[in-house]
Amino acid sequence: MAEKKMKRAIGSLQPDVEEILHWNDLPADAFEPASESEKENFIQDRKSVSYWKDAWRRLRRNKVAMVAMVIVILLALFAFVGPMLVPYSYDQQIRGANNLHPWHYTWEDKQRISAYMEEQNGLANLTPDEAVEQARAEAEAEGREFTRIDEAKVRAAAVAGAQGGGDTVTEEEAAEALGIKTKPFGYSDDELQRMANGESVFPHVFGTDTHGRDILARTMMGARVSMIVGICCALIVLVIGALYGSISGYCGGKVDAVMQRIVEIIYTIPEVLIILLLGTVLRPVLSNFQNSGDGPLQSLVTVLGPNLISIFIAFGMLYWVTMSRIIRGQILQLKQQEYVTAARALGAKGGRIIKRHLLPNCIGQIVTTTFLQIPSAIFTESFLSFLGMGVTAPMTSLGSMCSDALGGLSTYPYRLFIPAIILSVMILCLNLFGDGLRDALDPRLKK
Amino acid sequence: MGKYVIKRVLMAVLTLFIVICLTFFLMNAVPGSPWLSERNPSQATIDALNAKYGLDKPVIVQLGLYLQDLLHGDFRESLRMQRDRPVLDIITTMFPISASIGAIAIGWAILVGVPLGCLAAYKRGTWVDSLLRVICTLGISMPGFVVATILLHTLTGGIEGVNLLPALFDGTPKSYIMPCLALGFYPMCYLSRQTRTAMLDSINQEYIKTARAKGLKNGKIIFKHALRNAMIPVLTYLGPQIAFTLCGGFVVETVFSIPGLGRYFIQSIQNRDYPLIMGTTIFLAAFIIVMNLIVDLLYKLVDPRINLSKGGN
Amino acid sequence: MAQTEKTGKLLEVKDLRVSFFTPAGEVKAVGGISYELDYGEVMGIVGESGSGKSQEAYAIMGLLQSPGKVIGGSITLEGEDVLAKSKAEMIAMRGSKVAMIFQNPMTCLNPVYTIGNQLIEALRAHDKSVSKEEAAKRAMSMLEMVGINNVQKRMKQYPHELSGGMRQRVMIAMGLICHPQLLIADEPTTALDVTIQAQILELMKDLQKKTHMGIIFITHNLGVVAEICDKVSVMYAGKIVEQGLVDDIFYHPAHPYTEGLLRSMPRVDAESYERLIPIEGTPVDMLNPPEGCPFAPRCEHAMKICLHKMPPYVEVGDRHRSACWLRVEEQVQQEKAAPEAQAGEKEADERG
Repeated sequence: MAEKKMKRAIGSLQPDVEEILHWNDLPADAFEPASESEKENFIQDRKSVSYWKDAWRRLRRNKVAMVAMVIVILLALFAFVGPMLVPYSYDQQIRGANNLHPWHYTWEDKQRISAYMEEQNGLANLTPDEAVEQARAEAEAEGREFTRIDEAKVRAAAVAGAQGGGDTVTEEEAAEALGIKTKPFGYSDDELQRMANGESVFPHVFGTDTHGRDILARTMMGARVSMIVGICCALIVLVIGALYGSISGYCGGKVDAVMQRIVEIIYTIPEVLIILLLGTVLRPVLSNFQNSGDGPLQSLVTVLGPNLISIFIAFGMLYWVTMSRIIRGQILQLKQQEYVTAARALGAKGGRIIKRHLLPNCIGQIVTTTFLQIPSAIFTESFLSFLGMGVTAPMTSLGSMCSDALGGLSTYPYRLFIPAIILSVMILCLNLFGDGLRDALDPRLKK
Repeated sequence: MGKYVIKRVLMAVLTLFIVICLTFFLMNAVPGSPWLSERNPSQATIDALNAKYGLDKPVIVQLGLYLQDLLHGDFRESLRMQRDRPVLDIITTMFPISASIGAIAIGWAILVGVPLGCLAAYKRGTWVDSLLRVICTLGISMPGFVVATILLHTLTGGIEGVNLLPALFDGTPKSYIMPCLALGFYPMCYLSRQTRTAMLDSINQEYIKTARAKGLKNGKIIFKHALRNAMIPVLTYLGPQIAFTLCGGFVVETVFSIPGLGRYFIQSIQNRDYPLIMGTTIFLAAFIIVMNLIVDLLYKLVDPRINLSKGGN
Repeated sequence: MAQTEKTGKLLEVKDLRVSFFTPAGEVKAVGGISYELDYGEVMGIVGESGSGKSQEAYAIMGLLQSPGKVIGGSITLEGEDVLAKSKAEMIAMRGSKVAMIFQNPMTCLNPVYTIGNQLIEALRAHDKSVSKEEAAKRAMSMLEMVGINNVQKRMKQYPHELSGGMRQRVMIAMGLICHPQLLIADEPTTALDVTIQAQILELMKDLQKKTHMGIIFITHNLGVVAEICDKVSVMYAGKIVEQGLVDDIFYHPAHPYTEGLLRSMPRVDAESYERLIPIEGTPVDMLNPPEGCPFAPRCEHAMKICLHKMPPYVEVGDRHRSACWLRVEEQVQQEKAAPEAQAGEKEADERG
């Protein structure tokens, strides 16, 4: 009731009678001046949250990004820790383990299958007359009549078998006939025998390729190459782009004009064409360099491999343009703002202004752009490798594995799909996480 | 307007010149010679061949001579792939195939991607938006060869009972379907994402508030006021996208064995067929640069704020 | 124009509450405000940025953007409950009955359409029967009315080809083209040069007289209020702290915040040695509004009670009320001085 009256009072410009009556009940000191400290305690400010904490909070709330992050971490473990757990190396050709499927029959099943196949295929190789004889003998042994109808059936089957050009029973058909199911993971015959003898053998989880190399180990290596390429390219792009962009943006005037003309030209250069050429050119050049001596640079080339380095350089030379544009734009925008003018007025030098005032303000966009460069680099690397212009054998990458698998696509589709799925999931999760990062770091973009 | 166009055209010519020089030097920096894979050529043979094709001169002289020929419209002849066949002839027979696939691909990408982007922006925050977002992010995360091979495997008999399309490219309309689908998928998803972002950006502008305050209906606000403004940034992505689609053709042409220019370009690099590398690079680069130029000019036309007579900034 | 001048209540806002449900919590942007506006009356809403004055206006227009929501109170426009209207009814109402013009004329006009296009569109959105030629004619006469010359040419121009003041004139023309009863002007002069400001104010005053429309004039500039308004509501932290006729507010401010605003306003007639006195401190955190008077921490007269309890409204004059404990204290003291008057007052109240 009292509440209702109060509302009416506000609306109708009428003072509330009860309210007035209550005034007399106010505490005695109610109208004494409040002290300064009381006033200060009054304001309960939110704790001011730092930029990064705030961003992290926003990021954590983004479920898609968090799931993507977990998957990326799992993939990173797969790529960097995985090879330590798998006893096969990516270039090890395992004897007798060529073209293994990622499934197998146990040793006993296998023997049953081969016995069955021998029997069936043996039958198929008989001439019709021999088959009839054999069937008649069997029937007599079992004590039943061998009719003409039976004879005709056997003969027809034998003829059909012979006409089929030795249409032998395959392993799958035999297994199906015997009701034997496959077990996951691939093992070579040799390994199956060793397992039957009680040895423990690490399985070929994804099978093996034509050369008897473990596909799991190769996939891990490929994923590792992809990640390294992604991260290194992103860093190269960051360094070149940030330097170029900030110098261009900060200096302004003629310097900026010239630098922007250069950027415009590089921007319109068809990058893929040049990267293809550049990759091919650099690879042999780097190989020569690698063999030319024992210096620290040479050993660096050896460690990373000339293929990877050539991809890095090709990338670094072309992909910084976008980054430099973004940073230049940010700097131009920030330059107008007053705190930079203030810093200038206080006599701060150019480099210091860039470092202390400008970069911290565009850090969000820099981080996001750099991060999104990783999936883009992985994407391009896989594309180059697929075309046979990326890493070269025996080194592998997800792209070249897909390329290798293209020939046997109908028989071994998983050889293509395993690296392809890992590659796609990797890029997808990096993109999703990058999107989340952008939303978190730049709240203005989040709508 | 005229001044701006001239400026842009000059820029494009300069870029093309730089690409030519860059390609020429890069190509000549590749160790090895086009003759090495001939059956054990003697040094004398190599020298003779080099002399015949002018490869014995210093690189800069070679470049000069090449540019001179180029100005007369002569792209020279192939050294290895199809010995002595004019490069221009090779290009003109192969490019139409690449271009038609590229054009169909980018065409369907625009027709599907832009409306999907609008839909996602309009339904932002709903499951439609989330679904489209995942599909489109997946689309830009799958390299072309993955999409192409998955299509190849699933639609041409890899799955029992499904054998819809021919596996090999033979020029029939049916055989165009898969390459165009594969090639257009990435730009479709990319455009859709860009459209969504641009639309959201546009929807949050103040003139949309004005339009709402005027009492316009939602459809009119979205399609008249938001879309037209959103198309301006989307158009800028279109130029590089066309270029990318053309280059993505390399992969699709390889997977589907299409006798297109992209595939031939890769083979010519592998074979060190210098004139063919130069010819295809120049041709593709020129094409991409012209495409970018057109999109750029179009962009200035769509946005009335940009005053072309003042240089476009 | 509105030849038949209506009188009486045009708009009544009662205990309007608007909250923004952000991830960090509920922000009570507007915490229960009430006012009335008659036909042909101009009311100013004054307050600093973040005091909820624009959100309150958006609530009337039904333009609140998610996560903002009206969570209580009522808005009655010409006897109709605005909050109960369907989406389609709101669309029909916007532009025709209530128009709104915004702060920044630079960004409020769509850059890719001509002025004429946008004006005609505004008209035809509410009256499909108007032909395009007719609409163009009316748009041109509207442009002339807001003081734009060479209208033929202007109609074909794009917004970026006009100056800021010109664009605001176009915005006003666009708002008035359907002859609305109520115009909400959200800081229409803030983004303009001072000389242009004066012109636009003059224009609005002029148009108001001609069309006899009600105007809600949202601003943080008291000078503008004095120029154009009949009455003023002063908002602080989502609440109206003082309300009254312009003269009362200017000459007898009854709330320390209003006093502060007046002291921080430059005056032409000020003595040369007089200094502008800013209001110390910053506004309260709206996510975590205090129990007491939100202005207390910045108030030089703050009392103990101010920190614990929101003051009630006190009538300090004719149609002039203020929410401040100082006024309550005065009243209490008056009552103590004349206890016999209390009974009489109470009686009068009960009758009213």
